[in-house]
Amino acid sequence: MKIGVFIPELLRHLFKKPATVDYPFEKLEVPKDFRGSPYLRPELCIVCRACERDCPAEAIEITSVNEAEKRFKMIIHNDRCIHCAQCVDSCPTEAMLMDTRFEISDYDRHNLKMEWEYVRAVVKLKSEPKT
Amino acid sequence: MRFQIPIGPQHPALKEPIGLRITVEGEIIRDADIRLGYNHRGIEKLAEQKTWIQNIYLTERICGICSHSHTTCYVQGVEKLMELQPPKRGLYIRTLVAELERVHSHLLWLGVAGHEAGFDSFFMYTWRDREIVMDILERISGNRVHYGINTIGGVRRDLDELQVKYILDSLEILRKRSEYYKNLGTTEPSFVARLAGVGYLSKEDAIALCAVGPTLRASGVPMDVRKDDPYAVYDEVPFEVCTADTCDVLGRAVVRIKELFQSYNIIEYLLKNLPAGEIAVKAPRRAKPNEVVSRYEAPRGENIHYIKSNGTDKPERLKVRAPTLANYAATIKMLKNGFIADVPLIFAAIDPCICCAERAVAIVDARTGQEKVVPMNILKQISQKISANKERKREAEWPL
Repeated sequence: MKIGVFIPELLRHLFKKPATVDYPFEKLEVPKDFRGSPYLRPELCIVCRACERDCPAEAIEITSVNEAEKRFKMIIHNDRCIHCAQCVDSCPTEAMLMDTRFEISDYDRHNLKMEWEYVRAVVKLKSEPKT
Repeated sequence: MRFQIPIGPQHPALKEPIGLRITVEGEIIRDADIRLGYNHRGIEKLAEQKTWIQNIYLTERICGICSHSHTTCYVQGVEKLMELQPPKRGLYIRTLVAELERVHSHLLWLGVAGHEAGFDSFFMYTWRDREIVMDILERISGNRVHYGINTIGGVRRDLDELQVKYILDSLEILRKRSEYYKNLGTTEPSFVARLAGVGYLSKEDAIALCAVGPTLRASGVPMDVRKDDPYAVYDEVPFEVCTADTCDVLGRAVVRIKELFQSYNIIEYLLKNLPAGEIAVKAPRRAKPNEVVSRYEAPRGENIHYIKSNGTDKPERLKVRAPTLANYAATIKMLKNGFIADVPLIFAAIDPCICCAERAVAIVDARTGQEKVVPMNILKQISQKISANKERKREAEWPL
């Protein structure tokens, strides 16, 4: 046993750069497959409601606007979203995707809501909807 | 002269709400009582209303630090219910994330132990190095804490060559740093003197009180679910069960440092022998009526999930036994005849996760073994009936 084994390490750290970054001015890059917020590509959505059914936080809401014109409305409640990307996995046509934003906080939870109104797409399914 | 000291539910020494009632004689603890229930979230009940897929993300949120252990435990059970065999590559990636999680959890614990022992620079250094593991996990799963890598029948994300190389490179840095902690943690005289002899738990007591994980292994019992009942690919991976025989907090630190090196070896083995192929199989939406018990060696100890299905797409019952709950009985034993100043250290040594352990209580008749469902109003009536005859309680005084 030796007294003060830690001292050389402490002294070495005096001349090292900080381990953290200067956050609001300098930002770390997020990795390629980072799970940010989900968004919809309405031109691909066939309204199979797989995302609505599988979302663990019940954050996705699909309602019918006009049955005759096949117009639908999707609301993503980002205040409830837990960023698990299950909707991306469940989507059979790759209409749901995740972005890489991470600074999404807001003073009002209603501002986080995202809406799309679109006509149901006719896309040929490549495979069965994933479960 | 005996005094009772209440510590918690909110206390600067505790990271999460839990009530400790400690009877002291001078500085020495004579008796301790743990009160749970301040962090109950009703997760088990909520799980009965969600589908098998949704429950993966719910069980992940039982704990923030061992999130992967709860999902793996749950997913393994569901795979048994649905009679699925996940592909080899999927299991390898699942085990890889599990071991990375163990590394991050043990580095976190080392930091907390250093902090509780008054060695804050050690705390800062281990947590800085823990960021390396967090970055690996973020890169392979897309999130730092809730990896969400498990799905029923395999994993959700594949590894590519770049990621494998990145993990192996980062592992070298981690190895070097852990080597330093191994030498420092075991030779720095003040740190060792603070940990040695605190929270003694003999081998017999550890077995009798059903301690799990590093707490049990630090008392010299080589028990590890990965070895005793191998799940995933642990039957193919060479590793040793680490033990210590000092039976105190120092032993628990030594076990965790040794396990770090075992985890590095396992990660390296998994990455070098990663088989090619699919990562997941398709899972059905329903499970046949059955019941299953799934075991998993979480960083803190043995984690048990009991799952019962009834033929629908939702579980009928999900019971979670987190490792912390199993260690509470041993903690009371460790606290007895110790000093008040050691309470945070002893308590931190089991790596408590209060959120994990807060589960509903079932009332079981000890004679017949029958379970009873008791509504809240009946429970109130019972408690009023019991306390009505007790004069002593009405005259109880604040002990301080």
